Amino acid sequence: MAELDASQPLPERGIAVRDLTLAYGDTVVQQELSFHVQPASIFVIMGVSGCGKSTLLRHMIDLEQAEQGDIVFDGHRLWTEDGVERAALQRRIGVLFQSTALWSSMSVGENVGLPLQLHTRLSAAEIRDQVAFKLALVGLAGQESRMPSELSGGMQKRAGLARAIALDPDYLFLDEPSAGLDPITSQRLDSLIMNLRDALQLSVIAVTHELPSIFTIADDSIYLDNESRRAIAHGDPRTLAEHAEQARVRAFLNRQPIAADDGPS
Amino acid sequence: MRPNKTIAHNPKPATCQNREIRSFRYRAFVPQTASPTSNLYRIEARPDGVALVLAGDWGAATHLPTTPRVVDELLGATGADASGQAVVDGRELVSAHPRVAALVYGVNQQLRKRDVALRYEGLPESVQALVTLARPAAATDTTVRRAHWLTRLGERGRMRLGSVSNTAELIGNAFAATPKLAVGRAQARWVDFMALIRETGASSLPVVTIVNLLIGAVLGFVGAVQLATFGAGLYLADLVGIAVAREMAAIMTAFIMAGRIGATFAAHLATMEANEEIDALRMIGVSPFEFLVLPRLTALTLMMPLLFLYAAALGIGGGMIVAELVLNTSPASFLGRLQDAVAVRHFVIGFIKAVCFGVLIALASCYLGMRAGRNAAEVGRAATRTVVVSIIGIIVIDAIFALCTNALGV
Repeated sequence: MAELDASQPLPERGIAVRDLTLAYGDTVVQQELSFHVQPASIFVIMGVSGCGKSTLLRHMIDLEQAEQGDIVFDGHRLWTEDGVERAALQRRIGVLFQSTALWSSMSVGENVGLPLQLHTRLSAAEIRDQVAFKLALVGLAGQESRMPSELSGGMQKRAGLARAIALDPDYLFLDEPSAGLDPITSQRLDSLIMNLRDALQLSVIAVTHELPSIFTIADDSIYLDNESRRAIAHGDPRTLAEHAEQARVRAFLNRQPIAADDGPS
Repeated sequence: MRPNKTIAHNPKPATCQNREIRSFRYRAFVPQTASPTSNLYRIEARPDGVALVLAGDWGAATHLPTTPRVVDELLGATGADASGQAVVDGRELVSAHPRVAALVYGVNQQLRKRDVALRYEGLPESVQALVTLARPAAATDTTVRRAHWLTRLGERGRMRLGSVSNTAELIGNAFAATPKLAVGRAQARWVDFMALIRETGASSLPVVTIVNLLIGAVLGFVGAVQLATFGAGLYLADLVGIAVAREMAAIMTAFIMAGRIGATFAAHLATMEANEEIDALRMIGVSPFEFLVLPRLTALTLMMPLLFLYAAALGIGGGMIVAELVLNTSPASFLGRLQDAVAVRHFVIGFIKAVCFGVLIALASCYLGMRAGRNAAEVGRAATRTVVVSIIGIIVIDAIFALCTNALGV
């Protein structure tokens, strides 16, 4: 179980989310979220469309701030640190956006090199080395000069992943990494994510509702319910698919229809 | 294995990976200067081949050794390519940072091309795993061969002809579809059309007001100073009236509309193209021209002459204010003189020009917007091109009008 008791002391390693409530104005998206992401593991945030998965991710990467609760990275609070420490923490976070968000006016090499250019003192030649390696890691060796528009969907995802790991982050956030990809490309991307976790010892947090990906990559998971607006299940998704107490979670993980009056448990 | 010789690396940046192999003796006596990466690696000659010894904390380093430089030194120092093998020794590394893997990967790739085998000694497992994970580029040649210059010239000419034909098609569509809109049979939504009328008309009034009032005032002021010198201040109404009605009101309003509305239309349509919204319209059997271009064309063509009349009135008003302030000419005298001096034909010419400018801006913006590429940069490019093309087109049309009216004596 990844659930974190709010009364317990914060874990020194990994990501701890404690008593988090996400809201837009008066509309509560999710409430009382508490869980812990182990270091060097893949944690999947799952749930049906509109349940607030991407909203939770946006809060965890500091694009938005929650009204209540804390997110703690290796013992450092995300929202209570001073500006310098907060910026330093952000540099330890890599993000692959759902649409990849590659800068269309820049080549693939420039996309991957820009974070290094902005956040390190490496020279152009040094950055070239790093970029070539990161692209080789994601299977895009030698594609530096191509423009994002010249890449296929799967290649764009991998280029986005190369950009996300450009600064050698400790935490990698993936928003719907397999969305829109064919099964083979999706499977390759899943393998790549697992390989990167192992090789770079990354804590990976993936938002997805693609069942094959969930069962392949997840070490741990949380299910966000869009009716109760709470996390109603935590744990290994393979176990949850069989033994989750909540019918809704079992239905989701077994791709079964759910009756309208089925409650969360 | 203990190193038997240590060679300090050359602090000068390598300029070519294939430069001649220099002897160990020569390199050993090259004067050394402090290098920001000198504590991160060194080259050693060992009995079983040359060794690249990696050391220190690569994560904290502000500068890193580059692949070409390290390869150059490995090959140059003791002739690793001659011995056929080299060693990467990672036992002195403080941390197994991914940056180490980037260098090892790069060195490995370069040495493999020269048939030099690379062996790892004491290299952290995580670094080795990363190097293994990195896949080199496929051996297939993906370079695009540059076509012959005649072929490229012909291709460019063909593309130009294609854009001329597309423009002609757009104009033809405009003529063919306008009657449909007039009788309410075009595939366009009334609510969209009214929104466009508001956007091009009422929403443009503030900026049209400011610009034309000031242009009229500036013309009035310049004219007043010059005419007063010859005691001909009375003729200020002639100058301002003819200039504004015939040229300035239409041109200035067109410039405003090109920047404000033309760029908006182009960016909107380019974004729709990028999001495949235009393809979606085609797929449900809706003509993008009728649904998107025709309402914009009609709205701008209808609003431009109305804005011209408004702009002309304001321009003349600006001149009249200056006449009152500088020459003490009363508004009644100014308007009286204006009535005598400025014939209706001047307003008619300005009015017709305004219609032409409206058609030009609408067609240019829609054409460039719908022909934009499918990315964010193309959206901005389409907007910029629209403004540039519209401004050039406005000046060209104005020049044609000047020639024609001169030839006709009007």
